[in-house]
Parts: sequence; C-alpha cells; structure tokens
Amino acid sequence: MKTIFEYDEQTSGHLADEQVSIELPGDLRRGDLPLPNVSEVNVVRHYTNLSRENFGVDVGFYPLGSCTMKYNPKVNEDVAKLEGFSSLHPHAGAKFAQGSLQLMWDLEQLLKEITGMDAFSLQPAAGAQSELLGVMIAKVHFAQKNQKRSKAIIPDSAHGTNPATAAICKMETVVIPTDLRGNMDLQKFKEALTPDIAIVMLTNPNTLGLYEENVLEICELAHKNGTLTYCDGANMNAMLGITKPAEQGFDMIHLNLHKSFSTPHGGGGPGAGVLGVRKFLEGYLPIPRIVKQDAKYAFDYDRPKSVGKVHSFYGNFGMLVRAYCYIRTWGSDIRKVSEHAVLNANYLLSLLKETFEVPYNRSCAHEFVVSSKNFGQKSAQNIAKRLLDYGFHPPTIYFPLIVSEALMIEPTETENKETLDRFASALKEITREIEENPQIVANAPHATPVGRLDEVMAARKPNLKWSAGNRII
Amino acid sequence: MNYIPITENDRNSMLKQIGVESINDLLKDVRPPLNDELNLPKPMSEFEIRQHMQEMAKKNTVLANFVGAGSYDHYIPSALNHILGRGEFSTGYTPYQAEASQGTLQAMYEFQSFVCLLTGMDISNASLYDGASALAEAALLCSSYNGRNRIYVRDRLHPHYLQVLKTYCNAANLEITDKIDEKTSCVIAQNPDFHGNAENLAHLADQAHKAGALFVVCVVEPTSLAILRAPADYGADIVVGEGQSFGIPVNFGGPCLGFLATRDFLLKKIPGRICGMTVDSKGNKGFVLTFQAREQHIRRERATSNITTNQGLMALAATVYLALMGRNGLRTVASLSYARAHSLQQKLQGLGFKILNDRPFYNEFLAQTPKPAAKILSKLSENGIQGGLEIGQDRILVCCTETNTAQDIERYVSAVRES
Repeated sequence: MKTIFEYDEQTSGHLADEQVSIELPGDLRRGDLPLPNVSEVNVVRHYTNLSRENFGVDVGFYPLGSCTMKYNPKVNEDVAKLEGFSSLHPHAGAKFAQGSLQLMWDLEQLLKEITGMDAFSLQPAAGAQSELLGVMIAKVHFAQKNQKRSKAIIPDSAHGTNPATAAICKMETVVIPTDLRGNMDLQKFKEALTPDIAIVMLTNPNTLGLYEENVLEICELAHKNGTLTYCDGANMNAMLGITKPAEQGFDMIHLNLHKSFSTPHGGGGPGAGVLGVRKFLEGYLPIPRIVKQDAKYAFDYDRPKSVGKVHSFYGNFGMLVRAYCYIRTWGSDIRKVSEHAVLNANYLLSLLKETFEVPYNRSCAHEFVVSSKNFGQKSAQNIAKRLLDYGFHPPTIYFPLIVSEALMIEPTETENKETLDRFASALKEITREIEENPQIVANAPHATPVGRLDEVMAARKPNLKWSAGNRII
Repeated sequence: MNYIPITENDRNSMLKQIGVESINDLLKDVRPPLNDELNLPKPMSEFEIRQHMQEMAKKNTVLANFVGAGSYDHYIPSALNHILGRGEFSTGYTPYQAEASQGTLQAMYEFQSFVCLLTGMDISNASLYDGASALAEAALLCSSYNGRNRIYVRDRLHPHYLQVLKTYCNAANLEITDKIDEKTSCVIAQNPDFHGNAENLAHLADQAHKAGALFVVCVVEPTSLAILRAPADYGADIVVGEGQSFGIPVNFGGPCLGFLATRDFLLKKIPGRICGMTVDSKGNKGFVLTFQAREQHIRRERATSNITTNQGLMALAATVYLALMGRNGLRTVASLSYARAHSLQQKLQGLGFKILNDRPFYNEFLAQTPKPAAKILSKLSENGIQGGLEIGQDRILVCCTETNTAQDIERYVSAVRES
C-alpha cells in the first residue's frame, strides 16, 4: 500500500480559514513545511485499509505469552472518553479535578487490597518504567542508609527489562540459574546473596509460567541480608485473589495495568505501570502524591525523601480510568479472572503435551512454555509464521531464553474451550505438516497481506522514513 | 458483567481433560495461598459502572482553557477517533509478528517520517512515553555515545522535565552542571522555552559542538514547528519532545507521546522501537521492527534502554492527525494559535499587565499581573475560564490555541477588568 506521503490533494477545512499575520524574524521562521495535503476521505480510507492488515484481540485469538492479550471491554473505552476526564487539563488544579483525583485515590486503594502493598505510585507509563522507578528507589534507599550495594540478583528466566533496568541504574546483574522444577535455584541464590546485593528482582509466576515455590524462603533470605525484594508483576493475571505479593515477602511490585486489568495494548502502548511498595518505602515514591483530607482530594508535593518524578504529569491517566473501570466491574469476583486464566492455560497445555516437549512437568499458572526442538532448528519461528495462516496470532517465541525453540503460550481467561481446541488442533496439524510437507511451513505465512519479511535487509539497508524518490524499493 | 466465555459444562470437561477435580487443584504451588476473599466492592453491571463513572467525571470541572505549560488543547478532527477506535489497531500489541501487523508497522514508519519532516532530523524512533522521559532518554543516549557524564541544561526548561531529568540522572550517575566544557556530554535547551520564548539556537549549538558535546533540542509544543525553523536547521543533534498537541486530548496529563529524532550517526544508540521498510519473500514492500539488537529483549543488560513498549496508539493518533491536517491545516493551527495568543497579550498589556518575554513568542507568554495572580485567576475561574498557570505571586503563564475563540478572549478580558 502506498504511504500517506504519496497523496497530494486539496485539504478540507477542519478549522476556519482565517487570515492572520505573523511577525516573526526571518532567522526564526520556517520556510517550507513538507507535509502532504490529503482529503479526509482518503485519510480515512488509507488508515482503515491499514487497520485491515493488522491482527488484534478483536480479530482473533492472540496467545502472546507474557503479554496478557485478553479481551478489552468496550465500556472502558467509552468512559475514558467522557468529557469530564478527557478534557481536564493537568494544570486544572485540585479544586476542579476532584473526580480525577478521586479515581486515582480509589484505584490506589483497590490495588493495595489486591496486592497487599501499602502504597502505589500511578506515575510510571509502563512496566519497564516502573521497574526503573523500583531500582531507583532501591538505589536512593541504600544511599541514604550509607550502604554500598551495587548489584541486582536476577534469575536467568527474567524479562530482558530487569537486567536492562539494573544497568541504567549502574547496578551489576548477578544471574541465577533455574533449577529442575523451573524455580530460581535456591542454593545458587544463597551463594550469590552477598552484602553488596541491593535488590532481588523476581517474576512471579515466573516466565516459564510457574509459581515460584521458594518465594517465601527467597524473600526471607533476602531480607536477612538487608536486600530489597522486587516482584515483576507482569504475571499478576495469575494471582488476582489467589495470593498477595506482599504476603510472599515482596517490598515492591509493579503491575502492568494493560495486562492484568485489560487496557488495550494499542499496537505497543500506551500502557500503564504502577509501582506498589511497603510502608517503609512509601516516602521515596514520586511526587506529587494524592492525599485525601475530609473527603477532599489534593496533591502533596512535600515529600523530601521522594526520588523525584518519572512522568511529565501524573501518569497515563486515560489508562488508569480504564483499569479502574475494569477492576470495579469485576469487584469481589476478580478471583474468577485468574482462576480461569489458569484453567485455560492448563487445559491447553494438556492438549499439547503429547505433541511438544514440556520442559517442566508441573501444573502451570496462567501461561506455559513448550519446546519445539524435536521439530528442528528454527521450528518455533516457522510454526509461529504458519499459525498466521490458520488465523491465529502466534505465541511469544524464543523466550524465555533458557528453553530452546520456546513457544510461550498465554491463552488468558477470555477464550472459550472451542477456541482453545481449534488452536491446539492447528498446532498439531502444523507439526504434521513439518513431517509431510515441510516447505509449506518453512515458507509460511501464505495467507497474510505480505509474505515472510526480510529482516536482514531491513537492518543492512536501513529505510526508516519516507522521502521523495523513495516510494517503492 | 462477565468477560469469561467458559460455560459450566466446558469447565467440567476441561478439568476432566487436565485430570484434576477443581481449579484449586491447579493452584497447589501457590505460596502463600490467600485464605480470605479480597475485600473489594461488589461487582457491577455495565449499566451500573457507566453511571458510576459518569458521576465521577462530573466531579471534575472543565473550564475554557488558557493554560498550556506542557499540555495543549488543540482541536481534534472527528475522523481521528474513528480511526483510533478500530480494534485492529487498538487491540494489537508490539508488532513482533510483522506479517500480521503491517498496519501498525506502516503507521510507525509514517510517524517516523512525519517526525523527521517536522524536525528536519535524519532518523526518528517509533515514540517514547512522554516528553519528559524522552528528554531523559536523550541524556542517557548522549552519555552512552560520548562516555561523558555532565549535562548542561539551559534556563527555562519545563520544571517537570527538569525534575524527571534529574531523577534519571541520579539513577544513571549523570551530573547536571552549569557550564559547557570538554566534559560536557550534552547541552539541552527547550524551544520555545517554558515561558514561550522562541529563539534561533545556532549559537548554543556552536558552543556545544566546540566543546565536543551533543546538542539536544526539546520541543514541548510541536505545532510550533509549522511556523518555526526546524531544529536541524540550527544545529540539533537530537530533537526530543512531546507530541500530545497532535490529536491527543489533554486527558489530565496522560497518555502523552514522547518522540526522539537524531542525526544518522546516532542510529545504533537510539532507545525504543524503530520500524524499517523491507521486502517480503516475493519482493513486495513491507515493514518490520529493525535494529532490535539495541533492545532489552535481545541485549538485556547491554541494551540502549530498558524500554519495551512505545506509545503506539498515541503515535498513530499523531500520524492520523498530521495526515488530516496536512500542510495547510497545520499551518492554520499554528497561525491561529500564534494570533490568538498575541491578541490576548496586547489586550492584557492594555489592562496593566507587563509581558516578561524577552524574545518573540509563539502561543504562550509570561505576564506580570497588576494585582495578585491568585486573585485574577480566581475571578477568571468564577467566569468559567482557566486563565493561566500561576508562577509566583504576580506572574501567570498564559497560552492560546486555535480553540480559544475571539469570544473566549473577550470574556477573559472583561473578567480581568472586573477583578
């Protein structure tokens, strides 16, 4: 499809065409503004047609492990667009923002109850930024206590963001291997727990889709060592009403509201990460904090221990509205979400365990990892591409790194049995194709708007923006 | 409301297939199991939750807005929300599977192109969280490129941006200093600055480059780029900023849209997603995420940033906005914003306000008030007008966009007269 830059028409009037004079000196003034003029009808057609080349949860099953691609209820979209929320300026002042402040305050209370934490910052724009905030807090905490702790313990199954975050904060990563049951190796952890360890970052359930069986011991040992415990809560969808991260011993947790609480993923954002902490860390949370006094809500900037600020304003407010709406809709029934996420994952696993190698023979949490290594090198990639021809979005592949030819499958609770059955049949059919007609799998996909794309060429001959004369390769 | 489509019968046959009696049997590895039910309010129907949310939204009061300071109220064409509401766009994720995500990917490519056209830079990423964190990422990028750890920040950077920058600098062991020398990693300047002043910053770029530092320009109100010189023209190595002005509601400050564009030589140091054009197995044009070896899911502790998601749907909003407005429309937005702000500024001068801008301004100006600022702003709010951001006892930062009509400006002026 051509790009938007290859149109040039008369524009229609979104605004009154008013003659105004601008008196700017020449050295400030822009000459040419090289944007296309496109009629409204053609803009709408262009992007509508582009959308038709896209797969989303609204289109079909999207079991992308670690990303919790559940159905995003439409009412959440509508309420987020209410004029009172969407048109309120961030500098409106507390007096005129009581509704928004109440929503943020109430959301914080709900998240505290769900996780057992004592306070939440809603400011981080994404899980990765929440992690960054968590490690910043650890860094400031130990600086204030005059302790030199410059290392982070991270299991080898962790999301890449964990070590990347530690690196930004100039912390060295100590990697702990996974044991035969898929937990972080407790013995190796004990050996690594030296006095210079600032923080242990654990994902629970971990990225193998398994609840960490030693989480209580790990947190207790860390605390005895003066080390802070951080839960990467990307997988909270397996814990709602089932267990509380604070009771597992975590000092901090981030939640991805776009995962567990179903705000749409937007083709990669905007998300919302929120950071929950125990009481003794609350003072470090970013400013402003929202406080409630006599049924009125206000901003509190007077937090001398605060690490500062991580967002231009107060966080991705529009996503907070959606998540709040979702949590209130479920209310005290929210445990059903996690129960059915776990049910669906275990059911799908039971359908696939004869076909694929299962690295850890346990019940899974809300997702699971299987290996397609018996079907050869690059088989995970090929199976993923072939799944597109069957009308499914593929699972996450080649993650976690410790399982070769990994397929990481997260069905979520918003799928019915029939969908899971069809998906399992498609995977089995593809493995049969690998034996009988390998080319059809190796060259997949065939039914998508484009065939398999050349990533090597994209990196070797970068074409990262449109320019005249650069229309088609 | 129940978003789980599993019937009781299905649940029973699924449990049977798994080989367990109940869902609880699947939760035996959980430590520690929660014994009590969560203390949450009772569930709500869609009708009930909608009413509840409407009541909460009504507790906010939206006034005629003359405040910018990092968030700008521009008109959003109707067609934009119709595009954004398409589930194919809004319910997809990061396009790891390019063949099923050509819509998102091409929109990213178009976004990158728009950012480059507006800023004059060579390369743009596919967006970051917001303007403030984009600026902080730029500082990290510079330090990683030249190995220096000092940052010079010019006066009148948005105070929130400065706070975010300081927070990241503390984490990353970077230091903000007040001089430019051979240890300076980058020189940062906002343009137009926090008070609205627009300036040709070529002299600052020269100073930075002579010291071997990179020059970073931060654009918080990007509609200004329709009439102001592109930062590449006055020597920027990196342009970062906030794209909220392009079709994204003010939304109490979020979600926003960070952007980051650089010159070619910084390509491999850029944080965040980048989309590139390539070909498929049949030689047809297509788009993929590229240079992923910079990123955390591949490079882990050696990544250029920890960023995973970009701000996808907001980048799409900006792309569709720029497509809908086009060259003519964006010029109109900028000209009207400029004209309205200058009209209000002249009228306020006539009422005893002193304009403190020492340079030409675009759509935002700093005014010294003849009476206490709080008194004037309170009179304005009684008249349904949010008249400006109070900066100290006798100063307000006032902003206009094309949505502040001549009638709003008259109302503003008469309320000031009465105060």
